[in-house]
Amino acid sequence: MTTETIPQAPAPVQSRGNRKQARRNTLIGWTFILPNFLGFLAFTLIPVVAAFALSFMEWTSFSAPKWIGLANFERMFASDSFWIALRNTVVYALGHVPLTMALALLLAMLLNRKLKGIGFFRVAIFFPYITSLVAVAVVWNMLFSPDSGPINQFLGAIGIANPPGWTSSSDWAMPAVIITSVWRDMGYYMVLYLAGLQAIPTELYEAAEVDGASAWQRFWNVTIPSLRPTTFFVVVMLTVSSFKVFDLIVVMTNGGPGRSTTVLSQLIYQEGIGEGKFGYSSAISLVLFIIVLTVTVLQFKIQQRRER
Amino acid sequence: MTNMAEDLKATHLTDAAPSPSAAPSAEDRRRTDRKRSPREAKKRTANIVIYGVLVVLVVALMVPFIWMLSSSLKENNQVLTVPIQWIPQEFVWSNYTDIWTRIPMMGYLQNSLYLAVIITCLQVLTGSLAAYGFSKVRFPGRDVLFLAYIGTIAVPWQAYMVPQYIMMQNLGLTNSFNALILLQAFGAFGVFLMRQYYMTIPDELCEAARIDGLSEYGIWARVILPLSKPALASLALLTFVNTWNDYMGPFIYLTSNRLWTVQLGLRSFVGQFDAEYAMIMTGSVISVIPILIIFLIGQRYFIQGIATSGMKG
Amino acid sequence: MKRTTLAAIALAVTAGLGLTGCAGAAGPAEPQAAEGKTRLTVSVWNYEGTPEFKALFDSYEAANPTIDIEPVDILADDYPQKVTTMLAGGDTTDVLTMKNVIDYSRYANNGQLQEINSVVDKLGKDNLAGTDAFNIDGKYFAAPYRQDFWLLYYNKDLFKAAGIEDPKDLTWEKYTEIAKKLSTEAGGKKTYGTYHHIWRSTVQAIAAAQNGADQNSGDYGFMEDQYNTALDLQKSGATLDFGTAKSQKTSYRTMFESGQAAMMPMGTWYIAGILQAKKDGKTNVNWGLAPMPQKNDDGKVTTFGSPTAFAVNKNATHSDEAKKFIEWAAGEEGAKAISKIGVVPALQNDSITAEYFKLDGMPTDDLSKKAFTPDTTELEMPVSDKSAATDKILNQEHDLIMVGERSVSDGIAEMGKRVTSEVLGK
Repeated sequence: MTTETIPQAPAPVQSRGNRKQARRNTLIGWTFILPNFLGFLAFTLIPVVAAFALSFMEWTSFSAPKWIGLANFERMFASDSFWIALRNTVVYALGHVPLTMALALLLAMLLNRKLKGIGFFRVAIFFPYITSLVAVAVVWNMLFSPDSGPINQFLGAIGIANPPGWTSSSDWAMPAVIITSVWRDMGYYMVLYLAGLQAIPTELYEAAEVDGASAWQRFWNVTIPSLRPTTFFVVVMLTVSSFKVFDLIVVMTNGGPGRSTTVLSQLIYQEGIGEGKFGYSSAISLVLFIIVLTVTVLQFKIQQRRER
Repeated sequence: MTNMAEDLKATHLTDAAPSPSAAPSAEDRRRTDRKRSPREAKKRTANIVIYGVLVVLVVALMVPFIWMLSSSLKENNQVLTVPIQWIPQEFVWSNYTDIWTRIPMMGYLQNSLYLAVIITCLQVLTGSLAAYGFSKVRFPGRDVLFLAYIGTIAVPWQAYMVPQYIMMQNLGLTNSFNALILLQAFGAFGVFLMRQYYMTIPDELCEAARIDGLSEYGIWARVILPLSKPALASLALLTFVNTWNDYMGPFIYLTSNRLWTVQLGLRSFVGQFDAEYAMIMTGSVISVIPILIIFLIGQRYFIQGIATSGMKG
Repeated sequence: MKRTTLAAIALAVTAGLGLTGCAGAAGPAEPQAAEGKTRLTVSVWNYEGTPEFKALFDSYEAANPTIDIEPVDILADDYPQKVTTMLAGGDTTDVLTMKNVIDYSRYANNGQLQEINSVVDKLGKDNLAGTDAFNIDGKYFAAPYRQDFWLLYYNKDLFKAAGIEDPKDLTWEKYTEIAKKLSTEAGGKKTYGTYHHIWRSTVQAIAAAQNGADQNSGDYGFMEDQYNTALDLQKSGATLDFGTAKSQKTSYRTMFESGQAAMMPMGTWYIAGILQAKKDGKTNVNWGLAPMPQKNDDGKVTTFGSPTAFAVNKNATHSDEAKKFIEWAAGEEGAKAISKIGVVPALQNDSITAEYFKLDGMPTDDLSKKAFTPDTTELEMPVSDKSAATDKILNQEHDLIMVGERSVSDGIAEMGKRVTSEVLGK
């Protein structure tokens, strides 16, 4: 990957570069990275690698780990629960990522202006993220209530004969969870987009306006390209957090009804710390990691291509 | 120190795209004056529409919070009723006085604040430093290392919390604030966020500063940092909120009651077979207040044009 | 202008840091063992909200002046997870409280607990209710000090108003019948004949107990009648439907204390809770106890329950003191200390039961007393290393049957199939 990027977009220093310069650069680069990297290495990277090693072992957290090769993976791929959780996680991510991203951007554009009381509105949109999860779960479950909930009453009023059962139905529990999570998270990602929007020089808009670009064209040709790094960040963070979703589901449906909203991180938690099968739970997390990393690397490549 | 960045940015931008607004002459200004009235009217209607949309939105977003507020003013056995009761039968204001004595709420708030402030500061500082290394300095292995950073974000904490705990226990760090600070201050989140923002800052700015004789550290401190206030604000804000609301981390690492944070304190109202939801909601309302203050301070940095020459005028 | 705001923020931050910094950890100070005393650490959940621990510790310290007990307070919600993590890290807490037998079997089978046969022998296996649960191949790794079992709470006023006599010698048919009669709707306010909480035990554990069946067996045909009863009650509106109760996180206390449910099968732990609520004036429900409804009308009462026990950590710093404490806590003295606050001790004899009914606010009618002495109390969930995994599956399938996604027979078949393949590995 590095061999691909370096010659393509020569950095200012590199272009002048001789070997000494390159070595100096490496040194400088590392001094910037080091303060964070040391902490990251010691307290995150090492335990993560240790956990991955455990996926080839049997370990109850008390006895010494026992090497068992691929047995954990064999068990996992033969297990219904794993495939159901994987499917649910992917469905959740496919719903949660694009919807949250679109709404967050929309909100950020809406709130990126000088307006009286704009601070209040920005805070208000961030509110779902800081409201107690229990309150979120109770109120949304009430809204989703199959017989008496306002959502189904509305659907009935506009002529939908068989409104869904939402959280008490296996088929509709996941959409209900996705709607709630989008509602909850969009304020969080709005903050990121709001910051990203600040980096776009106003001159670009003014120039576009002079060229007679419509609002839509300005959005498409100025805002979207300028936000690309932010979008990359948002997409990656959203993908990652969707694949790791835990709290909201535990409080809202606890994986039910049945296994219809059980996700991978719940499985990891139950099997690992819940039942003491740490090797097996590590194996699941290794698979989760590989999936997310693949998605991220793909996005990274796409982004790099676009940047050129 | 800010001036330097502005100057550089301004020169760069006029070089790159000679825009008409760089220095409006007196004549230009008069022309815009004349145009203003129909435009202004249009803008005003637009504003009214926006206000309307916002108000509807806010109501939709606040409903659960309102429930939380109303529950915090109820007797405990009136909270989870079927059907939902929006207005308390009688207002139990005493919840707001009781909570300070039922649990050491003040101590918990201080602990939370201590952790959140320290972790946020460290995260912002080390994150923005590392991000500069990842975005503005080129060296071999950089991108692979960066992917390793992002990769670990993808691993759920549930998967490695036990190995991590064993390690911390061996270092003698459990049951102390230091454990949490060390675990959370050096996360990849800040590095990633800041790197992405730095990518939007043109490399030409750094180049110009280099020609002016600034060292890389100087560029970071005097050019890049001042330009990235919105990103710093959002990183600080989100880190603060996440630390403040974190439950699992403090639960695993802080055993002594005197070290507990607000989120742990609130969960102590959950018993083995039932929970005191009225108190939990009261505490939740109180614990939202510091976040609101931080947010109101932080959001002021989200003003369009702060990073560009626009603010010169 | 911007620079000043920055400076102001920096100042605020440093001020904040200084403020909290010197306060440091701001909660109550760490208790230190006084000179010459042994500090015994005991892991507990929700110390403030579970008064039995304080009652035990205070009495023990009074009786043993050389011991200082320090509770290791852990939140009730995720108690087992924290204990597991602590033990993995080699924690040296002396006494570990076993919240349920499923966790017990895990810790014991993993060798994380010390064998305490000597303590159990001294206490006498037959005197303590639920001791059998802790027998692993003749070895005991914990001794129960508390034993909760299930009985039927009922609202005397609602019974009187409906002209129904107190729920004596109920069978499930009779129970269903009166539950339907007691359900009323007046002025938009619904009163349910009974309330079944969402736990799977309200159906599955009672079925297992009264049919003498094993929930780890992989064959769940014995649950059929009980599910039909539960679904019938739900369909007829005699109880709040499962879906609503689950999604609204309905509190069983609210249902009973606000008079929304006339009956409620529930564990004995709620006695202490309802006594407290009445004392604080938070409810005025006129309540009584009755035995659980039965499968047969032969007059014998079979219910289920689950013991809570103390165990000694393998890595305990003070093993001998820990064993001594357990012997005391599970014995007569400990039983007296906790029955004073309405908690049901594992050690049961006439004098302790009599003591228990002297509690202020306790209903003293004969039916309540009868409810308190069931003929048989089966274990809620058998002790086995398979129990945790089985429990998870039974929970998931319970959900599906109760929300009506699966018919009773399909659900039961699915439970059997999943437990057989995923847990029993056949």
